Amino acid sequence: MSYSAQFKDHLAHPRNAGELPEANAVADEKNPVCGDRLRLALIVKDDRIETARYLAYGCPPTLVCGSVLTELISGKTTEEARQLTRADLLNAIGGLPSRKHHAAALAIETLNSALAQLS
Amino acid sequence: MPTRRVYLDNSATTPVDSRVATAMVRAVTETFGNASSVHGFGQQARAAIDRARREVAALLGARQNEIVFTSGGTEANNLAIRGLCEAASSHGRHVITSAIEHPSVAGVCSQLEKQGWQVTRLPVYANGLVRVEDVAEVLRPETVLITIMLANNEIGTIQPLRAMGALVRERRAAGQKHLWLHTDAVQAAGRLPLNVDELGCDLLTISGHKLYAPKGVGALYVRRGVRLQGQNVGGHQERERRAGTENVPGIVAFGEAAKLAREELNERAQHDRALRDKFEVQVRERIPEVVMNGDREQRLGHLSNISFRFIEGEGLLINLDLEGVAVSTGSACSSGTLEPSPVIRALGVDDELARGSIRFSFGKDNTETDVDYAVEVLARAVERLRALSPLTLVSHGLHG
Repeated sequence: MSYSAQFKDHLAHPRNAGELPEANAVADEKNPVCGDRLRLALIVKDDRIETARYLAYGCPPTLVCGSVLTELISGKTTEEARQLTRADLLNAIGGLPSRKHHAAALAIETLNSALAQLS
Repeated sequence: MPTRRVYLDNSATTPVDSRVATAMVRAVTETFGNASSVHGFGQQARAAIDRARREVAALLGARQNEIVFTSGGTEANNLAIRGLCEAASSHGRHVITSAIEHPSVAGVCSQLEKQGWQVTRLPVYANGLVRVEDVAEVLRPETVLITIMLANNEIGTIQPLRAMGALVRERRAAGQKHLWLHTDAVQAAGRLPLNVDELGCDLLTISGHKLYAPKGVGALYVRRGVRLQGQNVGGHQERERRAGTENVPGIVAFGEAAKLAREELNERAQHDRALRDKFEVQVRERIPEVVMNGDREQRLGHLSNISFRFIEGEGLLINLDLEGVAVSTGSACSSGTLEPSPVIRALGVDDELARGSIRFSFGKDNTETDVDYAVEVLARAVERLRALSPLTLVSHGLHG
């Protein structure tokens, strides 16, 4: 499979990976079909995402979507983060074959779960 | 493009040996005649095919008229299983196979099942081996074919084919005349000494590109007297068993590769095993939480299948590929299915281990420096992926 340069860069150099003990929103979602997992932890202050960290288990698109997601939402308001779509993620990583789109879906689902804890 | 490239996927395919390529190029340019033509050009091609057939037969301890050239291992497996079953269906419609066969065997068996045949798929034990006692137990008077691979393509386990051959001979002597044994020896050829009489098999599949020949050529050994229904019809080639103008350059290359494989078998086997063993020692020293899959003794010397806990195989594969190291994985994502490798699952391991399995397969062109580099890259990639994995935290009790 041929992945984009930005995809390979995120895979080789994951951004914002790790735990976040002082997080005020944490979501841990699993794709029940293939077993991929994504954990997202956020520090939100004054309705703005100050820090985002992720952990991921699964195929490369899942690992990369976690990394890209944290970059896209850092500094955004929760309302702006809620507007993020699968297509935004896919654009940011230079596209994925359709059979790998589940990785972007898992990332958005995990984001929404985390944001739901704040409302 | 990474600065260094290390190919550790020799079970998927091997690089073409330069001596084989030279022989093939000569055949392309000089031996272009149709081997079925009566004139000199045709007879030159026929002679080249005959020479290649002698070499392939010699690799297997067979007679040359027992070798049928095909387009590769998949076609040979199709011809063996379907060809024999169609020819023998009046004697019975039961086939015995294993749970860890290559898709080209498993697929034909499934198709036969849809056509009303009964198929028994024997399980393997945790070491990846089939037991001959289990074969004996499921044999029926209407069984016409046992098809069990000689060496597995993912974990390299070597099945007790000689014992199965002895069982088949015993049953024949006891009156079950219409029982045959086929083995897919694609992974074993060129890596283990092969002799069809010692194995006691009636049909045996090999493929050129696993032994340093190009893709597009393989062969089926058919013991003298075994009847097969041809699957390609419309020509007299290959003694009516495989119609179609012969792929002369491919066959010539295969013949040259078979000759070299026979002459260099011990040297290559020792070389590959030494590299594989060095690799496994270093992996165990450098990387915790690994599980080596398949029997430790009864396995091919060039192959190592390892599951890395807490990480998924394709993530690891791509990380290695980014640094120039080529391997294979049994992970679901990689195969385009939702289930991880049926072979690793058949060992009774959990999903996580099956998803984290990686096959490293060494070949004659690899060096000790390749091993050092691969281990270095692997250790870094595993550490990086484990630092990312929520499963690592779960195992360390940090969160549920």
